[in-house]
Amino acid sequence: MKRFLAAVLLFAMTLVLTPAPAQSQKKEEVAKMTLKVGDKAPDFTLLSDKWKTIKLSDYHGKKNVFLAVYVLAFTGG
Amino acid sequence: MDSPAANAAFAKQIGITFPLLSDMNHKMLTTYGILKTYDVQGDGYQWALRANIVIDKDGIIQHIEGGDSAVDPNTAVAICTDLHKKQSAQ
Repeated sequence: MKRFLAAVLLFAMTLVLTPAPAQSQKKEEVAKMTLKVGDKAPDFTLLSDKWKTIKLSDYHGKKNVFLAVYVLAFTGG
Repeated sequence: MDSPAANAAFAKQIGITFPLLSDMNHKMLTTYGILKTYDVQGDGYQWALRANIVIDKDGIIQHIEGGDSAVDPNTAVAICTDLHKKQSAQ
């Protein structure tokens, strides 16, 4: 039985990106990963490659979820 | 940013069977704090960090890592295996 849902988020970015707030333009700003082990994972709803809506909460009580976030890794944007 | 259509083409190309998700409006990335701002010729642009996150059946984060260490998925995979063993034993 497949216990794990492996979900990969593809975030291959093009140059059409969200401009950041003015104060962060001067230097790179490290993302603030505020979530930590033991925290409740915030729910999200995203579109899959099959144009199906996937909600994290759909797997609650059913499967463990492995989320892998990939940037510019597969499709070249 | 990849659209569902681009992800579908890629999934077909390499035979992926798990869902490939798109966060076109950065909502999930922002919530999870994995957007990073880069300076490109004086302008700031936000790209996602590489990240691995393991969430158990109860919706609790069991592992979260971002940046360079997340390029190697082995730690996350080991945690998945442990989690599976613990749940099987229950």
